Amino acid sequence: MSEPDGDHHHPTPLSPVEARARALEELLKEKGLLPEGFIDAVVSAYENDIGPMNGARVVAHAWVDPAYKARLLADGTAAIAELGFGGPEGEHLVAVENTPAVHNVVVCTLCSCYPWPVLGLPPSWYKSPPYRARMVREPRVLLREMGLDLPENVEIRVWDSSAEIRYMVLPERPTGTEGKSEPQLAALVTRDAMIGTARLGAAPQHRFGGPLPDGSLRGPKSDRLL
Amino acid sequence: MTVRVDATVAAMSGAAAPPRRNGELVFDAPWQGRAFGMAVGVVEQLGLEWKAFQQRLIAAIAAHPEAPYYDCWVAALEQLLLDYGAVTAEEMAAARATVRADAP
Repeated sequence: MSEPDGDHHHPTPLSPVEARARALEELLKEKGLLPEGFIDAVVSAYENDIGPMNGARVVAHAWVDPAYKARLLADGTAAIAELGFGGPEGEHLVAVENTPAVHNVVVCTLCSCYPWPVLGLPPSWYKSPPYRARMVREPRVLLREMGLDLPENVEIRVWDSSAEIRYMVLPERPTGTEGKSEPQLAALVTRDAMIGTARLGAAPQHRFGGPLPDGSLRGPKSDRLL
Repeated sequence: MTVRVDATVAAMSGAAAPPRRNGELVFDAPWQGRAFGMAVGVVEQLGLEWKAFQQRLIAAIAAHPEAPYYDCWVAALEQLLLDYGAVTAEEMAAARATVRADAP
């Protein structure tokens, strides 16, 4: 893919492909094919916003369409693909349903596997060792620290994601939303509710970046690590 | 400026799938991110479907399976611009010459 470089006497720090990319950028700007600021906006959108809204649309659709909900719970990958979302081959998406008696929460104890096609990028606390360890050991305590105080009679099910199977939570539809349209419902669904660290319209949700699960997570300003 | 994420771009799979780490796009150098943005912008500005780019990307990867992903990406973008007459080969050569001359 490289091209002959005839300029041996004046070596430049630009690799050939980098020079080609830069030339294209100049050319496209010149031709008005690349509005000012567009590249930065695209990169930022794709780095940050492969958003939880995909998951929210899945949830809202399941709330209004019982047949879809049944398909979602039976085969999450296929039902999510119906709405045009999906991941690379080989990844299975599984939706687990919250009920008044059962609360589901997702973790990846091994690393930070996350259903990114539907939930976007994982929050930094999701990747933190304290979250990964404590959500298995003492989910009720950790959820309380994260702002979700579940009654003792609610069973907590912890789902351990892996590279092969990635879980998302189907939250309960909040009461008093009977008249809302599907897009309005989707707007109610939060990322944390789909991870299971929050319930919708039930408990105060911890803020983006969250309180610190064990006090060891400093600087939660950045929601992206890696 | 706000850009909406296009699901067909975000969900590219198989050989055309961009390098990711747990869902996050991985750019080894800033120019790779800029090349990514350029392709999305060009497809939109020319009113094309994403598959017009994706097909060329797949072809570029097939032609040079050993080449790094974003090298193929740039080749595919060049091909797309040439194929749709948005840029001529002469203009491209001239722009490259200018970049080389300007480089420190």
